[in-house]
Amino acid sequence: MNVLEDSAVTLLGITKCYGRTVAVDDLSLSVRSGELFAFLGPNGAGKTTTIKLITGLLRPDRGDIQVCGHHIGSNGVAAKAKLAYVPDQPFLYEKLTGREFLYFVAELYGIENRRRDEVLEGLIARLAIGDFLDHLTESYSHGMKQKVVLAAALLHDPTVLVIDEPMVGLDPRTIRAVKDLFVEHTQRGRTIFMSTHTLDIAEAVADRIGIIHHGKLIAIGTLSELRALARHEQSLEEIFLQLTEESDG
Amino acid sequence: MAKRVAPHVGRPLLGLLFRTKMRSLRNRIHQTIDQGPLRVMATSALMLVVWLGLYLLFHLTFQQLRRTPLQATVAIPLVFNFFFVVMLMLLTFSNAIIAYGSLFGKDESAYLLSSPVPPKDFVTLKYFESLLLASWSLILLGIPLMLAMADMAEDSVFYILFLAFFLAFIPIPGALGLFLAWAAARFFPRRIARTGAAACGLVIAFLLLWGLQSLRFGGAETEAWLRSFYSRMSIIEAALLPNNWVATGIDHALNGNFSEALLYLGVTAANALFLSWLAVMIVSRWFDVALNRAATGRGTGKRSAAPASGGAAGLIFAYLPLPLRLVAAKDLRTFLRDPMQWSQLLILFALLGLYLANMPSLRTQLGDSGGWSLVIPFLNLCTLSLILATFTCRFVFPLVSLEGQKLWVIGLLPARLSEILLAKFAFAMTVTLFGAVGAMIVAAIMLELDLVWTVIHLMVTISICVALCGCAVGIGARVPMFHEPKIARIANGFGGTINLLASLALVSLVLVAMGYATLRSRDLRIGDVPDILTLLVCLAAVAIGVGGGVFAMRIGAKHFDKIEV
Repeated sequence: MNVLEDSAVTLLGITKCYGRTVAVDDLSLSVRSGELFAFLGPNGAGKTTTIKLITGLLRPDRGDIQVCGHHIGSNGVAAKAKLAYVPDQPFLYEKLTGREFLYFVAELYGIENRRRDEVLEGLIARLAIGDFLDHLTESYSHGMKQKVVLAAALLHDPTVLVIDEPMVGLDPRTIRAVKDLFVEHTQRGRTIFMSTHTLDIAEAVADRIGIIHHGKLIAIGTLSELRALARHEQSLEEIFLQLTEESDG
Repeated sequence: MAKRVAPHVGRPLLGLLFRTKMRSLRNRIHQTIDQGPLRVMATSALMLVVWLGLYLLFHLTFQQLRRTPLQATVAIPLVFNFFFVVMLMLLTFSNAIIAYGSLFGKDESAYLLSSPVPPKDFVTLKYFESLLLASWSLILLGIPLMLAMADMAEDSVFYILFLAFFLAFIPIPGALGLFLAWAAARFFPRRIARTGAAACGLVIAFLLLWGLQSLRFGGAETEAWLRSFYSRMSIIEAALLPNNWVATGIDHALNGNFSEALLYLGVTAANALFLSWLAVMIVSRWFDVALNRAATGRGTGKRSAAPASGGAAGLIFAYLPLPLRLVAAKDLRTFLRDPMQWSQLLILFALLGLYLANMPSLRTQLGDSGGWSLVIPFLNLCTLSLILATFTCRFVFPLVSLEGQKLWVIGLLPARLSEILLAKFAFAMTVTLFGAVGAMIVAAIMLELDLVWTVIHLMVTISICVALCGCAVGIGARVPMFHEPKIARIANGFGGTINLLASLALVSLVLVAMGYATLRSRDLRIGDVPDILTLLVCLAAVAIGVGGGVFAMRIGAKHFDKIEV
């Protein structure tokens, strides 16, 4: 099979500048269907900018982006129908209850009510959100918001889930549940593009890892490929530190 | 997981978005009624008082005009034209500011734009949102005006027609505002603050120049002045201006010419619909370009850090001990870096400046009557008090609540929490005194006011500043909203309402005392010294202001010291 045909997310020579600052510099990468891709990098490396480019919130100055074969620039609505995005700061309508928000999302993606209720039942149980789902979301803690936003993202079974720092504010039990949900999602052939600073989670669940630094992709591969690149049997944390320091040097 | 349902790509989602917003609004209303029925009643009562006050004001004005039918024939269309041209400008800016914030600045935008919501549906939703949020002022001001006018109408159909004119007019500034917001993001993303400030400055400068030219008194030749005034005002009656369609239509409706009125209603509605369609089409077609420019084209906001002493801002508060100086300097710096705050104050004082610059010299207008020459400084004091109250209620009151998320920072300063309030008070006094004392000195010079009365008015001005700043900071500390990050919501909340009422009550007491002192001095000639009782009443006015402000500060400080950080 052609690499591009099997690719859920494709970035070709992407460059993005904020004024004179180059946030993403000639970035090319392809994330395959059924893959959980972890995107790592120091603060200000260009991770969130890349995610915003993939979701169509920003336009690249140069290069091309495709999601599930659709150009995000010229055929954005079609691409976004197959996409779910969870930003680092979870967004919820504060004067809706969690359940009302989830119903809104279900309708947004055209899910029938019966199907919606079936799926929600499972997500409510696994993410333990039932106790507060009928309260206004303005009363939620960060972790509660994050759980509801994750449920909303998984509700329509997106072909590509783009997620920025998924585990912030979650308790250990929910982190475990989310990791399991992610693995199951990719096992069904779906793709997850995850940006994170939590290296042990990336180490535990990612099929491939990309490291971005100063807007450039400095390393990409499986954990063992990265170990080979770093020339040592090390943890992902040590590999990350070594590769980013080498890049600085 | 959900069975894969073919996503109905490109299907209209506007209905869903509106229903969600309505549900959100319904929840908000239920919550407000459940949590504070008293507050809802107080707000409704206050609103009713404002409406009735405006209605009476307009009603008396129109009755006065009716006594002279000839002047009424000329003046009434001019009043309408003036009202709607001001509304056109204000609503266009108001819509532009709200639309910019909701299109380019909110988390909701990022969420909806990463979903399959078509850009046209998103832009339409935001257009209606800004239209509703920006147009309440027209409803507040316009309905009493129209009801007062309806008393003069010959037919009750007028009530329906004036409502229709309002509804037809509102989308015009809405569409212009939407287009302006998009253009600002598309073409001036790096200079949005400076562009906004420059636009405000230009509008103010234009209004000042035009107002000065139009309102300038021509000595005793009032008829010549009136002719000149009408001649200058004819610019707002140009046939292509929307305010003219509405004003002419309402005038026809008022006189029972319903076919003519309907024609102008049709013209207004057709243009409103066309402009709305055009603005939504243009903005949604090139929305992604503007969004991208708004997100990436702004400056980094990089500024050189102020030195530990607080820098130039710290110098202004040199009389405060170091930790408090830093807090006051921080508040001043935040104020100066937020065009939304200083531009509003600038507009208020520019309007005051326009008024002051047009005051006739009392020595020539009123002869040697010293008593009457005190009425205008007293009215200046009233105007100034309202302007200052607007500023303190809107911007000073939320200062303490805004520290909520950062209370751990100031809570660790080597000072009692209540002392922090002094820093807030010092900041508020600095800003208000700078404008208020300046304005009063200018007024005193222009009116050639006696030294004694100049000193009295300055002392009362300072006491009003103390009263308003004390209330805003003290009540802000007594009834804080630490979990609310938005200034508008803090100012409109329960504490904000209490502050507004307390400020108005306190300032009213001061002004009643000053009104009495002015009344007692009506027979004085210029140069005469007021009697002891008058001076005592003036001192009492000063004491009421200062005492009220200090009392509010004490209440706030007592409560603030008990707050757990």
